[in-house]
Amino acid sequence: MLPHRSRLSVLVFLLPPLALYVIAVLFPILQSLVLSFFQWDGITDMEFVGIDNYIRMLTRDDIFWKAFGNALVYLAVCLFFQLGVSLFVANLLTYVGRGKEVVKTLLLLPAIISTVAISFLFQEIYSFEPSGLINQILEFVGLGNLATPWLSNVDTVLVAVSAPEGWRFLGLYMLILYAAILAVPKELEEAARLDGASSWRVFTEIRFPYIRPVWITTMIMATTYSLRGFDIPYLLTNGGPGQSSELLTTYMFKTAFRSTDFGYASTISVFIVVECIVAVGLIFLLLRRRSDVTS
Amino acid sequence: MRPRRLSFAKSLTTGLVVAIVIVQVYPLAWLFVTSLRPAQDFAAGNPFGIPSSLTLDNYVRAFEMADLPQYILNSFVVTAASSALIVFLGMMAAYALQVLGFRGSKVVLGLFLIGIIVPVQVALVPLFVNYARVGLLNTYQSMIIPLVGFALPISIYLFTSFFQYIPRETYEAASLDGAGPYRIFFGITMPLSTNTVITVVFVNGIFIWNDFIFANTFVFTEGLKTIPLGLQNFIGAMGSVDWTATFAAVCVTVTPLLLVFLVLNKAIIYGLESGSTKG
Amino acid sequence: MKHKKRLAIAGVAMAATLTLIGCGTPAGPSQEGEIVGREISWLLSRPADGGIITVVKEIADEYAETHPGFALNLVTTPDRPSYLQKLETLAAADQLPEFFDTDATPFTRKLVDQGKLVDVEALLKDLDIYDDFRPLALDYQRFDDGSLYMVPFEFEMEFFWYNTALFEQAGVTVPETLDDFADLCGPLRDAGVIPFALDGQDGWPLARYMSYQPFRLAGPDYLNELKRAEVELSDEVGTHASEWLAELGSSGCFAEGFSSQGYTDARDLFTSGQAAVYQIGTWELAALTSPDLPEGVKGNIDFFTLPTVEGAVTADNDYTVVSGIGMGISQKAFDPLVEDFLKFLLSEYSDRIVETGHMSPIAGSDVVIPEGASELYARALAEVDNLGDETAFPWDTQLDPTTNSRLQQDLVLLVQGEITPEQFTKTIDATLAENAPKFFD
Repeated sequence: MLPHRSRLSVLVFLLPPLALYVIAVLFPILQSLVLSFFQWDGITDMEFVGIDNYIRMLTRDDIFWKAFGNALVYLAVCLFFQLGVSLFVANLLTYVGRGKEVVKTLLLLPAIISTVAISFLFQEIYSFEPSGLINQILEFVGLGNLATPWLSNVDTVLVAVSAPEGWRFLGLYMLILYAAILAVPKELEEAARLDGASSWRVFTEIRFPYIRPVWITTMIMATTYSLRGFDIPYLLTNGGPGQSSELLTTYMFKTAFRSTDFGYASTISVFIVVECIVAVGLIFLLLRRRSDVTS
Repeated sequence: MRPRRLSFAKSLTTGLVVAIVIVQVYPLAWLFVTSLRPAQDFAAGNPFGIPSSLTLDNYVRAFEMADLPQYILNSFVVTAASSALIVFLGMMAAYALQVLGFRGSKVVLGLFLIGIIVPVQVALVPLFVNYARVGLLNTYQSMIIPLVGFALPISIYLFTSFFQYIPRETYEAASLDGAGPYRIFFGITMPLSTNTVITVVFVNGIFIWNDFIFANTFVFTEGLKTIPLGLQNFIGAMGSVDWTATFAAVCVTVTPLLLVFLVLNKAIIYGLESGSTKG
Repeated sequence: MKHKKRLAIAGVAMAATLTLIGCGTPAGPSQEGEIVGREISWLLSRPADGGIITVVKEIADEYAETHPGFALNLVTTPDRPSYLQKLETLAAADQLPEFFDTDATPFTRKLVDQGKLVDVEALLKDLDIYDDFRPLALDYQRFDDGSLYMVPFEFEMEFFWYNTALFEQAGVTVPETLDDFADLCGPLRDAGVIPFALDGQDGWPLARYMSYQPFRLAGPDYLNELKRAEVELSDEVGTHASEWLAELGSSGCFAEGFSSQGYTDARDLFTSGQAAVYQIGTWELAALTSPDLPEGVKGNIDFFTLPTVEGAVTADNDYTVVSGIGMGISQKAFDPLVEDFLKFLLSEYSDRIVETGHMSPIAGSDVVIPEGASELYARALAEVDNLGDETAFPWDTQLDPTTNSRLQQDLVLLVQGEITPEQFTKTIDATLAENAPKFFD
């Protein structure tokens, strides 16, 4: 705390952001929470239904559970790219001599393209009849029998709609992790190398423990953004075929704006909020605890 | 033995990096090439083959079908205003919470952080109804307010994390010189935060520039449409799409952001590297 | 108990915040009083550069010349889901503009019940143009009780277009009944052709296929009973329709991966000669008769109308005829100006829309065939004189929205063989039971 602060100065700095946040975020969320106990189509009178929406969601709605499962797979795929692959690339990059700057720029490029364009793009890439990029490559390397309509095959569609989201932000997370690795004291690594430690051991025993705090931040960012993921599955397949790529967010959106079932949609969004809180809580529980022990 | 292994590892590393770069960049190159293909060629032939000829027709059609400069201008206004607010308000809140501090600041911070994990779709209906009552529908503000609101949490999070790293002594020294909270904010905290500012602007700017959901819900007139909304004009009756013109429009609308990105590339990467890792 | 009460109070407070003040005094269609120029808006879901918008703009500009202060603000959102979202939020906030596009959906019905729309039947009669409209064009806009609240601006017939050269190559002929469809697919596939081009991404084209068998077997009333859950899709008719679609799927009638192919992909498959049959309306005539079609396709396109079935209850010349998304008129914003402009618009519209190569919902003006189009253009349009008086309504405008989404999603699974016809009909019946009562009380 600053010594020369006054109550007034705290208010001057805090009130404007807080006011905007309350107006734009908190109040609408509260309105949504209240709505979740009603049945409302937007035009006729609201009808109080108690927890019926919640009962319907948890017991009678097969799409909801399907979408919940899908959202977890979507999360796993995104995390694989955004945390796994990006950490791998970040590590690789530290061994690259020249051209690092160019590589960093190029990897960041997909992040600036709008999701509308990305969906157009991946529709062509996944296409089967006529053969899209992936199927052509499979054909070319002699794996033609693996070719499939990626977005129509119920076994592949979920991963196929998740990958573009992971792909798009790979560069961003890579850069953050790369910067964290750069901050690892060189002397530690050098000492370990002189002791004959392999690159793998340098990574697991020195680099990774050192970047753990950044890793946690990245993980929280990636997790919450993925759980909110919406655009690409919505635009690419609209949840299909059937409900194979329906996520909780797309299902909620459709419930609100296509079925005009605003009350039930609010119930689903309350669930999404709870789900996100639980996920973040778990990350803290699992990772913070361990980092406390090691540090 | 050892040098050969090393050089093998090295070329493997290079190979892998090159492969990953290709995966990241090829689709974008394809987008650009397709925007130059004749429409017929795209419809009939192999969309991933080499185009039979190149043409600017698609760009002509793209400009005829939609008022692209207007969309770009609108996106620019919304993005610039929102980014400025996100940075300024985020910094203010973080300053109050982290530097000034007060009892219950942890609770307020928690309240803000909830916003990181709330899906934006939750707020659409209530916001719309609220806007309708106060006459804010169909204005720049109707897009800017929720965009800022939902970006504030991550901005505050990044700023508070960064402020933790500003040594206490810096403030104490300034205080001893008689600087009050306002002078410290403008004189010390703000200038020190450049890297975090770049991170915040870049990460949020991407999302705001590409926002579809708020614009689609709150804006009705052609004159206020932003780029993602304007791209919808390329979807025709019953869902038919003039693909090559659409790709041309995508290329046109990406250009401003791309230019900003390329010009500020060094600063952005430097900012991201040093701004986001202090957490 | 106490808890519940508090919740209920909170709820009432919320209801007060969320439901907006509004509800203008309902007025009869015909408006007395002076015409005062002002800006009025039309929220559309039509292609931005399409014939309708161009023509309406032209007419509005002329009207503005004689009516100072008048301006028509056209706001279009061609992508239908985005449009519907906008319309629904506007309706929820009671902010509907003077004109807005909508189908005769259960949602629109609710708006009508709230007194938010002008009675178009009465209005058109007042304006003395009711009888000029093609009856089928108006019927398409009607609710199932016969009431009319939307003005049509299009008139299109839906056909099956086919490639005669590909049919010959595969040694198949035009199917006589719907149940013959599956038999086409084997030979066509053997000839290396995709039998039916289908836009699976948008949902509505496959839902059309779903509507055909019930329309032929049980007539138009089947849909009206089904949407109220008064009949079950698992009955004989629904089961037959579902089995038929499953058979089409298992016979390879649609492109593998059709569910991720969009509207343009499907059309391109047909117009580039890769697919043999394409179900679409006459709105695509320009593309189907274009002089730019590749060799082998040009001059080889013909069409047939919806085939019959054994024991059909509807006539051969009854099939899907649509007058497009209609235009509703907001009761609240309805005044002498709106009425006068509409009168002017409708009196000028017909002669001009036919210039763009499209039929008008108002009879009497002959379509001007675009230059360079093949003879097929005129021949297809001539079918308008042979139409019967029943229409196979598209299901997507009639079912409640939740069931509609579920139907469109599960149809894909059915055709892909992921679920059996039995599972399919059971799911749809359960969805109807849960959701139909919310819309049809």
